[in-house]
Amino acid sequence: MRLDRFPVTALAWRNLSRAKSRSALATLGILIGVVAIISLGMFGTTLQAFFIQDAERFLQTAQVSPGEDSESPVLDEDDIAEIGALVDAQVYPVESSASVIKSSRETTRATVTATERPRAFVTAATGQIPKNWRSGALVGQRLASQLEVSVGDALRVGDRTVRVVAVLESTPRGGFVQADDGVFLPPSQLDARGASRVLLRTDSPEAAFRAAETIRQELNTDRQERVNVFDAEASIQRFQSQISTIQTFLLGIGAVSLLVAAVSILNVMLMSAIERREEVGVLRAVGYHRRDILQLMLSEAALLGVVGAIAGAILSVGLGAIINQLLLGDPMAFSDSVLWNIALGMGFGVAAALLSGLYPAWKAANARPVEALRD
Amino acid sequence: MTVISATDAVKEYHSGDRLLRALKGVSLSIDPGEFVAIVGPSGSGKSTLLNLLGLLDDPTEGQVTVDGTAVSGLSTRERTEVRRDTVGFVFQDFYLLPTLTARENVAVPGMISDRTELLERADRLLKRVGLGDRLTHSPSELSGGQKQRVAIARSMVNEPDILLTDEPTGNLDQETGAQVLDVFREFTAEDVAVVTVTHDKQVESVADRTIELVDGKLDPDHR
Repeated sequence: MRLDRFPVTALAWRNLSRAKSRSALATLGILIGVVAIISLGMFGTTLQAFFIQDAERFLQTAQVSPGEDSESPVLDEDDIAEIGALVDAQVYPVESSASVIKSSRETTRATVTATERPRAFVTAATGQIPKNWRSGALVGQRLASQLEVSVGDALRVGDRTVRVVAVLESTPRGGFVQADDGVFLPPSQLDARGASRVLLRTDSPEAAFRAAETIRQELNTDRQERVNVFDAEASIQRFQSQISTIQTFLLGIGAVSLLVAAVSILNVMLMSAIERREEVGVLRAVGYHRRDILQLMLSEAALLGVVGAIAGAILSVGLGAIINQLLLGDPMAFSDSVLWNIALGMGFGVAAALLSGLYPAWKAANARPVEALRD
Repeated sequence: MTVISATDAVKEYHSGDRLLRALKGVSLSIDPGEFVAIVGPSGSGKSTLLNLLGLLDDPTEGQVTVDGTAVSGLSTRERTEVRRDTVGFVFQDFYLLPTLTARENVAVPGMISDRTELLERADRLLKRVGLGDRLTHSPSELSGGQKQRVAIARSMVNEPDILLTDEPTGNLDQETGAQVLDVFREFTAEDVAVVTVTHDKQVESVADRTIELVDGKLDPDHR
């Protein structure tokens, strides 16, 4: 950098390069603070995307079952039609009961679930879920290994014999449909008078919440609870409070490391101001104004901050790409808010550096040139 | 015509609860191109006088005048500007910036005022003081006499009317000291006044005039 073009920046840069390891350590402090602040937003958003991706189907579902004041323990065809007319959603009547299950080797009790279109909730690990499902059983993974059955084997469910057409992939815990320990049959195979519950599948979590609310308002009154409606809103709130805990934690790390960095820059600049008393005195003697000295010292602090902030931003984006790859399978899956996070982190880093450079710079600028030169 | 003058200048310092009178009423004036040596025992107020003439310090009483302008009425900022345009400093300890090359050190005073052809000006001055082959050396690669010549070139870069120097030969052997004095002599030939505080007889011998300070006053026999 030519001294006659950018005199202050060039002088500041050379001064910093005089005590390289000291400057590097001060920069490292800023870097850590900036990484923590950028991560605060970036990783929070990535985690959120990750959880929502995993729980997407769950969040888009609401469940309706007979309420406390219902006359029947099941929802009949009229009820289901009424529910279907109220909301814009796919409607899946589901009937579950417990039954004795026998294979050629083992006998156990398990949940038998009857539903017409099971593909909405489960996927086959081996075998296939038939398109037009009239017969055959889908068996949960854990139950299949307990009964030692696989695709093609015969199974006795209650008093009828069915053939296993698919073994299912395991489903996330806490979902509306639990596949692992149960058997799925077409409704025609189960003599039921109705469905013990109806699942509503929508396009988005918000639509699911709206559908649940509509049904509550239309079918229930203050005094009479005809149906019991459950959606994932409570789970979402729990999840969001977890995210905000993580963010508070990162914010704490960011604040502490920026504070430490600021103190370290204060120390570096004060030492440098004391070591360079005579130099500053000479600069004042040859005609530098107090403001020029102030500017020079603040430029040094700012340079420490800017270098730390840039390195911190690069490191954060690198870390972010790695985490995106691990959680979302795409290194570039940054959200739009990431730019804002980077600006915020860099801003805080440079501001912390400038702020802690203020006092040493003021001290150096206001030393009287005579006293600075007196041995 | 006078470059800088002091009239009845008094300087008092507080040292703890004691009041020290470093200068007890000193009057002198410096003409263009004059080489003036200020001598006297340590503690006689030589450096204090130099600081007053260089506008680095204010007299407690009396007046310092630069090119006809009284300095005491000026703000810190204005005084810094008068100093930059009129006075050059050369110190016993050189005080070069270790991170800068010789030519950059010479350019330092010009960087915040007049940056036109600054490095070229610095190179010309370094050639004049005989360091044309050391332009891009750093101070650690230069000898004491070379460093002092860089410092003199630096003091000349803003084309001052007067050079104030404090023991410029104090850290140099006799031969190098003589080279430095030759450089000063060249500048006085161009009407730049040189005022130097010194203990060095060699300096006295080349000076046009020697002023002796004793206990804060000018010695009347030695004007």
